[in-house]
Amino acid sequence: MRIARGALALGAAALAQALLSRYVPALARYCDLFTIIVVYYGLTSPPTAAMMMGTGAGLVEDSLLGAVLGMNGFKKTLIGYLVGSFGSLFMLNQPIPRFGILFAATALDPLAELGLSVAMGRGFVVPGTLDLLQRGLGNGVLGLLFFWVAARLP
Amino acid sequence: MAHLLTERKPYLLLLILLTFNLGLMSSRIKSGGQRSLLEEAVMSLVSPFLKAAAWTGQGVSETWRTYVGLRGVERENRRLRVETDALALRAREAEEARQELARLRELLDLRDSVPWTTVAARVIARGADGSARIVTLDRGSSDGVRLNQPVLTPRGIVGRVIEAAPGASKVQTILDPNSGVAGLIQRTRVQGMVVGVGERGCRMEYVSELSNVEVGDVIVASGLDQIYPKGYTIGVVASIGEGEGLTKLVELRPEVDFRRLEEVLVVLKPEGSPERNSP
Repeated sequence: MRIARGALALGAAALAQALLSRYVPALARYCDLFTIIVVYYGLTSPPTAAMMMGTGAGLVEDSLLGAVLGMNGFKKTLIGYLVGSFGSLFMLNQPIPRFGILFAATALDPLAELGLSVAMGRGFVVPGTLDLLQRGLGNGVLGLLFFWVAARLP
Repeated sequence: MAHLLTERKPYLLLLILLTFNLGLMSSRIKSGGQRSLLEEAVMSLVSPFLKAAAWTGQGVSETWRTYVGLRGVERENRRLRVETDALALRAREAEEARQELARLRELLDLRDSVPWTTVAARVIARGADGSARIVTLDRGSSDGVRLNQPVLTPRGIVGRVIEAAPGASKVQTILDPNSGVAGLIQRTRVQGMVVGVGERGCRMEYVSELSNVEVGDVIVASGLDQIYPKGYTIGVVASIGEGEGLTKLVELRPEVDFRRLEEVLVVLKPEGSPERNSP
């Protein structure tokens, strides 16, 4: 049941992200629904589940974006692990801590990509601070909304 | 050993997954950008979502366009309805005017054919019971209308003036049982007295049993009553029965349609020398 829900959430995120990037590209730039799902699983499930979801979400995102397969899988797995580990140590069921985690996870994403690119000798673009802030804020707000909706689902 | 594995399970899994992803990236980079089987498998898993996104987007766009289009159609529909109503009203008015013009033309023709001064009048009221035994005209004594003046239409005799006020007058039609018109059968010149029988029409009395009368014969005014001008149509014989004594009972169907009587001509000077019609 949990796996089915996870697959369903992943499918919905893929659909929503594809719609956003197709019709509202300006908004899609500040919304990473896959990161939100991985953070959600990291805070509500054991770290193993969060990592599995991270790999799945990352691979789907790679396919959607046409990126190198495994790049986002790697990043999201790492995020899933870190959030899952962090979430098992602290109480993160209030909006402000959750916002902080969402913001940090969103900021970690491009930084991890930067690290990977350096390690693999690939070209990279250093993300700007303002860009990181905007993405973090956008994902934070959207993530809180996602948590609020998910808490009301049967 | 098993306990150690269980305790380190997250780390092991993390290691496996990260290695797996790194392996994927390396294979892609090594293959010079060519897709691996795994990539194709993931792509085939994701492509339905891409198609669904495209389909949903198109559906939403199409629905929106249709909605906006429908709103436009609704606005246009409302505007056209208003225009149609206005045009229908104008068409009705035009048709009414056309019919009135036709009636007035007929009346004008009659007026030209009558060798006396006449005045055209409109029927503005009927009897209180809705019958056409007495009708009121919008012309009265101020227009020269006097008692006992005959009232005509192009179809035939309507009746005579029985009251004349300055702005209106009352006419006793030939349907009224108290009315009487000296008439004759046009074909055989047989004479008699036409009296009203209410809404059913008229009856010709004092027609000899021996006289030649047939259904369909036209009855016209004989002029002997000194009121109605000679030769104007009263009606057509509808049926013939036995009357009192040695007479026939001749039922008439008036030529004038009293249910649709609207404009009439009042003959101002039926007696004496002919005068031209007043304007």
